[in-house]
Amino acid sequence: MFDLELNIRSWSDHLRARGNFKETDILELESHLHDEIEDLVKAGLAVDEAFLISVKRLGSSQLISSEYSKVNSENLWKHLLVEPVDKVEKVQNRKNIILVIIFALLAGTLAKIPGIFGMQISDPAYSLFYFKNLSLFVLPFIAAFFIIKHKLSWKMAAAIMGVFCFTAIAINMYPSFEPKDTELLTGIHVPIFLWLITGVAYIGSKWKDSRRRMDFIRFTGESFIYGVLIFCGIMVLAMFIMMIFSAIQIDLSWFIADYFFIYGGCAAAMVTVYLVEVKKSIVENFAPILAKIFSPLFLIAMIAFLAVMAASGKSPFVEREFLIGFDLMLVLVLGLVLYVISSRGMHDKAGLFDYMNLALILAAVVIDGVALSAIIFRLSAYGITPNKLAALGENLILLVNLGGLAWMYIRYFARKIDFYVLEKWQTSYLSVYVIWMAVVAFLFPVIFGFL
Amino acid sequence: MNVSKDLIAASATPIVLAILKENDSYGYSIIKMVKELSDNELVWTEGMLYPVLHRLEEQELIESYWNSSETGRKRKYYRIKEAGLKELEMQKKQWEMVNSALSKTWKNKNQE
Repeated sequence: MFDLELNIRSWSDHLRARGNFKETDILELESHLHDEIEDLVKAGLAVDEAFLISVKRLGSSQLISSEYSKVNSENLWKHLLVEPVDKVEKVQNRKNIILVIIFALLAGTLAKIPGIFGMQISDPAYSLFYFKNLSLFVLPFIAAFFIIKHKLSWKMAAAIMGVFCFTAIAINMYPSFEPKDTELLTGIHVPIFLWLITGVAYIGSKWKDSRRRMDFIRFTGESFIYGVLIFCGIMVLAMFIMMIFSAIQIDLSWFIADYFFIYGGCAAAMVTVYLVEVKKSIVENFAPILAKIFSPLFLIAMIAFLAVMAASGKSPFVEREFLIGFDLMLVLVLGLVLYVISSRGMHDKAGLFDYMNLALILAAVVIDGVALSAIIFRLSAYGITPNKLAALGENLILLVNLGGLAWMYIRYFARKIDFYVLEKWQTSYLSVYVIWMAVVAFLFPVIFGFL
Repeated sequence: MNVSKDLIAASATPIVLAILKENDSYGYSIIKMVKELSDNELVWTEGMLYPVLHRLEEQELIESYWNSSETGRKRKYYRIKEAGLKELEMQKKQWEMVNSALSKTWKNKNQE
């Protein structure tokens, strides 16, 4: 069956990729195409024939694009906050913005509540409390935003919010004894766990679908980049406020610390999520561009490291700090690989960056393998602590992930599998992260007696 | 007959303005109308028409609005503005002048 809408969309995506078009231009051309097709169908053509002829009549995308570029040249800088063109969308957009404002205020207020009970955020005694609860102040609202925006069913909404409630209760009811290692571990792992749960709200009812999961991975990368930028803006604004008010001898540091950063931080998170969600079709994703810039550089650095290590005969000295360093290396490599994959068309032929991905993965796996063989020996010699076990677990999970990717890549290059198998494998593996994060956050304290 | 590119480009503005003076319209319909008006001699491409429309909009000779078609799809309509009507009058005079000048020279040639 010929899917007209799908074909028209892929045609307009083609135009979009050429640049030179404003979004309204594309809509106008799409509508034109529809008109032409309707007329041809009325004249007795089949829909697919009508589509082919209409596209042909509209001329090659290059021709159209160069004509448009003459008019639009100053408009090539796309505007993120464009007013949607039709009324329904306008109303929807307003609703979303209002929702963002309300949720940002609620999140900030929620973060202020413990302060009312004497748990001041500036008090070092409560820093761990705030650290582990930080994600709980913001992420439930982001999840709620998506639940409302994507109109999720009551059942799913309840399940997602249930997880948030359970997390809030569990991490705050758990006792904690010196040296509070497991509490810190919980604090580190809960945000990642909850972010992935927020991902379920983002993806919606098709949360098992690998393409939608890939969308969530893209969303995560863009959110991170935009979040950092917006937060930098907030820092600048804070410093600016402090500076001008101190010029007239008014000290506003209490306001900045107690209100501005709390509400500002929550607002930054909400605005980031909103912007990334709105802009996804307007501006090219930035994370893949970063990944493509840095993956060759990382590859060179890692190969150089391997070569020097082999030549000098030094084996990596592995303490826990170094193990975390190697974990970070794996995370970085995984990120680079993922975002290069994310920008790649499903049916593209294997290209330079695919081979570079494989090389990057293999280098990382070899380096990490050397490091691991050293640490397992030390672990068995000095006994197990929660920190070491968590770092080791992460390392193994990342290693399996990268190893799996490498294996899939090799099979893909050998034309044994299609690329979507690789993508599917990667997105399915996200579940492993959810489980491991939950294990460290909720089970580790129990296993290690809340030490 | 193949009308030269320059002539098509030069005549585009008055034709579009004249069509819009009659009725608000949208790109696809404008192209069809031009074809009919010229007995299939003037065939405009979309790649040419839309940039012209957008330029006229930028010059504030016409304005656009989104409306739904009979089938409920979104469609961008164009409407002529006051300045557009004035421009049309001016263009009309210019074309008439060119036209009469040309006719005279051709007449002279025929008499020789």
